[in-house]
Amino acid sequence: MKRLDVAVIGAGFIARTHLPAWIALGARIRIFSTDDQAALLSEEFGLTKTACLDEALDGASVADICTPTTTHRDIALAAFAAGADVLCEKPLALTPADALEMAEAAHKAGRLLYPGHVVRFFPAYARLRSTIRSGALGRPAVARFTRTGRYPTWSPWFADTALSGGIVTDQMLHDMDIARWLFGEVVSIHATQRGHLTTHDSASAPEGPVATGSATLTHDSGVITQVLGVWGPPATPFRYTFHVAGSNGTLTHDSIAHPSLRLTGAAGAQAGAVPTGDFGEDPFSAQIRELATAFQGGPAPRVNALDGVAAVKIAAAARRSAATGLAVAVHDAAPRTLTEGSPR
Amino acid sequence: MKVALLSFAHVHAATYIQLLRDRSDIELIVTDPDADPGDPTRGKALADELGVTYRAGYDEALAERPRAVIVTSENARHRTLVELAAAAGAHILCEKPLATTEDDARAMIDACERVGVSLMTAYPVRFHPAFAALRHTLSDGDLGPLLSVHGTNNSSPPALERPWFADPACAGGGAIMDHTLHIADLLDVLLDGEQPTHVHAVANSLLTSSTDGPEVESAGLLTLTYPRGLVATIDCSWSHPATHPTWGGLTLTCVGERALAEFDAFPPLLTGYDTAQAATRWEPAAIDLDAAMLESFLTAARTGQRAHPDGETGLRTLKTALAAYASLHTGQPATITAT
Repeated sequence: MKRLDVAVIGAGFIARTHLPAWIALGARIRIFSTDDQAALLSEEFGLTKTACLDEALDGASVADICTPTTTHRDIALAAFAAGADVLCEKPLALTPADALEMAEAAHKAGRLLYPGHVVRFFPAYARLRSTIRSGALGRPAVARFTRTGRYPTWSPWFADTALSGGIVTDQMLHDMDIARWLFGEVVSIHATQRGHLTTHDSASAPEGPVATGSATLTHDSGVITQVLGVWGPPATPFRYTFHVAGSNGTLTHDSIAHPSLRLTGAAGAQAGAVPTGDFGEDPFSAQIRELATAFQGGPAPRVNALDGVAAVKIAAAARRSAATGLAVAVHDAAPRTLTEGSPR
Repeated sequence: MKVALLSFAHVHAATYIQLLRDRSDIELIVTDPDADPGDPTRGKALADELGVTYRAGYDEALAERPRAVIVTSENARHRTLVELAAAAGAHILCEKPLATTEDDARAMIDACERVGVSLMTAYPVRFHPAFAALRHTLSDGDLGPLLSVHGTNNSSPPALERPWFADPACAGGGAIMDHTLHIADLLDVLLDGEQPTHVHAVANSLLTSSTDGPEVESAGLLTLTYPRGLVATIDCSWSHPATHPTWGGLTLTCVGERALAEFDAFPPLLTGYDTAQAATRWEPAAIDLDAAMLESFLTAARTGQRAHPDGETGLRTLKTALAAYASLHTGQPATITAT
C-alpha cells in the first residue's frame, strides 16, 4: 500500500477538520498556507511546515486543498503536475469551466480528483440513499432539504459573492449534490438568493450578517426538489433537515430533533458548534478514510470528479437564476465522455 | 340565528356541521341536492347520520332566510351558490379556494358588495394563537426585517375520499389549487395584503399517476417573489401518506435579519404507539382552528361587521395559485398584477 504523504494546502476551518482524519490514518503531513495559520496548525498537530506551494507538493502523494474556492484550480493543476492525487474542498471551483479544466487535467495526468462533498458521508444522507436504492420508499416524487447555520464570518471571503458564490454556491451546493446523488441529473433550476452578500465594490458585510437562498430543482427522472439555505444570526444553531416523499411513504430527518446527548444549563451555550452528525465516526473522517483508500488503489469512493463538476454547474445555473429571476436549463451537468479511460 | 350549509361535496361540510349542530344559539339546516342519491356519504343519508335538518334543495334552504350561509360545494360551483345566497341576503362563509377563476371570484365579491353582506373565505390557520404570536413577533421587530418565508402544507391526496379533487373541471387543479392557499393566506396576513409580483412553480403527478381520469399535479413547489425582494416558498404537495394517523400538516418558517421563527399549525399533543392498530399514535393539539374560524364568521354575521379573511383576500391568494399554473405552462415565473 502506498504511503500517504499528504500536502494540506490552506490552514483554516476545513484543514482543521481534515487533519485529525489524516493523522488517524498514519499519514505524513506537510502544510502550507499563505497566511500565518499554518504555523499554528503545524505546531498543534506536529506537522511539517513548508515555505511555498512547490515545497509542499514536492514528493506528496496527495494534495488536500482547503483554500478559498477561487484558488482551487491553480493549486490542483500544480498538484497534478507534481504527480499528486487531489482531495479538493467543495465547491471544486466557482465556474464550470474551471471545474471542468481541473477534471480534465486530472484525467490527462492520470491522477485522481475528488471533491469534498462531505454531506454524502453524514449517516442520515447515506442511509437515505441506501433506503431509496433498496426500493423501500417506492418511486420518489418530491423532496425538501434545508441547511441552517450561523453566517460564516470567520473568514471574510464567504460574504463576497465574487469569491464564494454566496450561500447558493457555498452552502446549498451540498444539498444540490445530494439531490442529484439521490434523484439523478438536474435538467432545470430556479433559485433565489438574498441578504448580506457583498461584491468587490461594496463595503464588507455588516455586523451580524444574514443570508438566505432557495432553489427548486427538476430532475430528469421527474422528481422535484426544494433546497433551502440559511446563514443566520450569530446564535443560530447548526441544523439540517430533509423530507422525501415516494409512492411507499416518506423519510424525514431533523438533525437537532433527537440528539444522542443533550447538555443543558451550562454557561455560554454552544450555539455555533460545528456539526458532526451524531456519535460514531465523524463524517469528515469517514470521507477521508474512503478517499484515502481510493488514493491507495482501493475501490472507487461514493463521489468522483464529475460529481464535483456537475455540482458546480448546477450551482452556477442557480446563481444565474437568482440574478435574472428566470428558471435556467442545466445542460450536460456531468459530461460522461470524460470518464472514459479515467482512473475512476 | 339560522345557518344554512349548502352542499356536502367538500369534506369540511361534515366538520362544520358537527361544530354547529349542538349549539343552542344556532338553528342549522343543510342541503346537498347535487349529490348522487345512492351515495351514503352524501345527501340526506349523511344529514341523517349527523342528526341535522335536511332540506331538498338550495332554493328551499334559502327560502327560510338564513342569516348565515356556508358554501362547501366543489370549488368550481362556489360562484353559483354564493350568488344565490347573496341574493337571499345571507352573510357567506365560502370554502377555499374562493373560486377557480379570477372572474368568478370578482363576480362573487361584487354580488356580496351589492347587497351588503359579508363574504368570508374559509382560511382557518390564521386563527391559530401561535400564528398571532408569530405576527406580533414580526411586528414588534424581534425578527428584524424579513428575508424569506418558507411554508409547507402537505396532506394525503384528497381525491382518495372525494374524487372531484382530482378533476380539474370541479377543483380548478390539483395540489397547487388545494394547498397553496393556506400558506398564501398566512403570507397575506404577515405582509398586510402585499401580493407577490412573480410566481414560479414546478409540479409532477408521480405520487398519483396510477389513478384513472384526468391527471392533476400531486406534488408542487412554488417560489414567490415580492416587490421589495422578499422570497417565499411553498411545498403544496399531497405527499403525506394516506394511512398515517394524521391528515398532514402545515408549517411556516420565517427568516429575519435578527432571528428565525418556526410555526407549526398542527403539532401532535400526544404521540406513542397503538398495538391494537399496529400504528403510531398521533393525538392532535386541542386548538380547534375550524371552531375559531366559525366563531369569527358567526359573530360577523350576527353583528353585520365585515368578516375576515374576506373575498378580496380570497381573490388575492387565488391569484398566486393561478399564477403557479401559468408558470407550469411556460416553465418560467408568471407575473401577478396587483388587485
